[in-house]
Amino acid sequence: MPDAAPLWAAVVLPVALVVAAVVTAGFDAVLSGSAERGPAGGVREAGLRATAPLREALRLLVQQPRRTTAADRLLGRLGVVLVPVAAVLAGAVLPWGFCAVSDPSVGIVWFNAMEALAWAAVWLAGWGPNSALSLIGGYRFLAQGLAYELPHMFAITTAALGAESLRVGDVVAAQDGLWFAVWMPAAFVVYLLSALAMAFWGPFGHPLSRDAAGGAEAELAGVDRLVFLGGRWLLLVVTAGFSVPLFLGGGHGPLLPGWAWTLLKTAAVLALLVAGRRALPVLRMERYMELAWMVLVPLTLLQALFVAVVVLNR
Amino acid sequence: MDLRGLVRRTAMNRPAVLAVTLPGATELRLEAEAEVRRRGWPVAGAPAAADLLVVCGVPAPEDAEWLDRIERSMPEPAVRVVVEDSGQVDHALGMASRDLTDRAVTPRGGHMDDRSEAPVGEPGDNQRGEHEGHGDEHGHGAHHDNSPPAAPEGRGHDDHGMGHSHGGHAAHSGHEGHGHHRPADHAAHMGHMDHQGHGDHLDHQGHGGPMDHMGHGIHAMGEVAGLPMAERADDRDELRLDQLHVPLGPGLSDWPAGLVLRLTLQGDVVQGVEVDHLPVASGPRPPFWDEPWLRAAHGEEVTRGEAVRRRCAAHLDSAGRLLALVGWDDVAVRCRRLRDELLAGAWREGIGGDLRRTVRRVGRSRSLRWSIAGLGELPADRARAAGVTGPALAADGDVYDRLLMWLTEVERGVEEVDDTRPLAPDDRIGPRGRLDGPRPPSQVLLDVLPGLLTGAEFACARIIVASLDPDLDELALATVPGAAHA
Repeated sequence: MPDAAPLWAAVVLPVALVVAAVVTAGFDAVLSGSAERGPAGGVREAGLRATAPLREALRLLVQQPRRTTAADRLLGRLGVVLVPVAAVLAGAVLPWGFCAVSDPSVGIVWFNAMEALAWAAVWLAGWGPNSALSLIGGYRFLAQGLAYELPHMFAITTAALGAESLRVGDVVAAQDGLWFAVWMPAAFVVYLLSALAMAFWGPFGHPLSRDAAGGAEAELAGVDRLVFLGGRWLLLVVTAGFSVPLFLGGGHGPLLPGWAWTLLKTAAVLALLVAGRRALPVLRMERYMELAWMVLVPLTLLQALFVAVVVLNR
Repeated sequence: MDLRGLVRRTAMNRPAVLAVTLPGATELRLEAEAEVRRRGWPVAGAPAAADLLVVCGVPAPEDAEWLDRIERSMPEPAVRVVVEDSGQVDHALGMASRDLTDRAVTPRGGHMDDRSEAPVGEPGDNQRGEHEGHGDEHGHGAHHDNSPPAAPEGRGHDDHGMGHSHGGHAAHSGHEGHGHHRPADHAAHMGHMDHQGHGDHLDHQGHGGPMDHMGHGIHAMGEVAGLPMAERADDRDELRLDQLHVPLGPGLSDWPAGLVLRLTLQGDVVQGVEVDHLPVASGPRPPFWDEPWLRAAHGEEVTRGEAVRRRCAAHLDSAGRLLALVGWDDVAVRCRRLRDELLAGAWREGIGGDLRRTVRRVGRSRSLRWSIAGLGELPADRARAAGVTGPALAADGDVYDRLLMWLTEVERGVEEVDDTRPLAPDDRIGPRGRLDGPRPPSQVLLDVLPGLLTGAEFACARIIVASLDPDLDELALATVPGAAHA
């Protein structure tokens, strides 16, 4: 049973998430920079490239906001703000070592509910500006949700099944010996895919795709854009980070304290996702839907069945 | 310098660039792309994300409207710079960047009631640069919102988009209310709820076109905030569905310069396509990508290596666009870097390894193939019947096959880039096909576009266009009178 976190953890959580997001985005910027302009000439240049996300944030802060005609400003703003809010709320059940801001008995359901908020967020952000392209982007995320959500649910259900509890702390405790990733590899891989899809990032960036001039973000400028795109990085960090308690043993590990293991594992998962993203184009949902429903759903169901049989016989 | 000024200055140090290319300015576009990359400035995909609008080419008077519209839909501080001549890019970007930091440090009120804005063309407009200066930081709420700071050389005054009157690198500031952008304002960039009857938002060519008389019914149906409602029409299954008109181009990124497609969408299915383009003037120089062959045809001494180099660069450019559109930025930017290195005269030994690695990476990617295979099928017999001659004919297949055909030609070509033998004067096979055919190769590609796009999903439309990548500069080729019908 994990310890209850002190109250200040609720304040630290958003800050920690933002720091993690900036570091991840910086790593991504270094990789992009070396593809675009060749490998960095030295440490200084690499450092400069790594700070690109911060400079970008500053630039967006200086930009004036803009409005479009007959925009639904209330819903549009709501959508933009919901992205980071959903990420932070989902992060509340993320155990740091063995200690989360909150560890309710339905932590996994909470996480999933917060992540479903992102559906509303992206669609609202696309709806708000009254622009065809951003609306197309918003609807693309709904299609994406239909594709990834079912396999994703089965994947996290499998982890909960293995621990016989929906409490995140129990799931971590159940992995004291063997990580779930080892005996539920299919669920783990599907979870990583849906982590990217939830954060509508990388290969699942279709809602913000270039062919729709940015899709849901097409009309966002200034602070709106910063909150939306920054929120997306937060979501990526949180969803990637949640794979650690679910499948990678949480804070369990030799020698180092629990928080260090959480940090290391989260960093490893994020590095894998950011580096792996370079090998893939954006997946068009029309195609991914086929894979998701024809292959991933049966695969995760079989995985759940296997886990259920193991649990019943233990 | 106060702290706030310093922050603003630092923030605008690396502005996000939206590059818009006019027909005939391919070389300038390449220069601008290379320079932006060298400076490490981010590239924006939409006006909302951009600080700096870089117009490559000489705007015609009728371009002013859509260029203005793009600029108006950029968030403040927004600066436009027009690059008209080769070799000016560096200077122009430098100046635009200074302008931008100045404007960021002395912002003008963006919170005023924008409806009281003087429309473009009001006489008051022209006086702005004169009675305002750097001291206007407290001008919030005043009705002269975004006048430029009094700039040296009289750059401040506003001549409504005729940027070329400033010696080719005029850094403009916004023209009118930036606080409140009509979505239709950058229809030119890519459509916003551009319903029927509003086709003329894009440019004047829409007047009197078929779109206009369809528009009447809509006005009867009422407007919301000045924008007409969508109207309905039968779809392919004879269901009455909402119909939306979305123009694509001419100011899109990763888009053939000057191309305008007017799509009729029902849901996400493209029901109709009207291919249009900006006027293409036959300039003093031949189309950039066809230059070696055309020069050889005129009896000039051109080496084979030079021609092959140009062909490879053209294909890498096209492949880069397609890959960027399908969201594989990592390879797209590599293609562009290799393109620029090739054009800059890299030797085979210097570039070959990198190039082969990139080509192989694309060829090996199963996810890419899975993602785009089956789109825009153009079998060889249909292509031949339409008059297609270039790689699009040789590919004999879909978007993916055409991409691979480009890359195969690049890989083969890179072996010969140092070939110094002269190009045969009767070799007229440019990157996009036979230059001595009855129609320029890109005109043929434009002609097959509607057939490929109709019935496709919106998400595939731009991928299909990019897989043909017509080069509108070619329409100025004098082979057929009237080929450039604009």
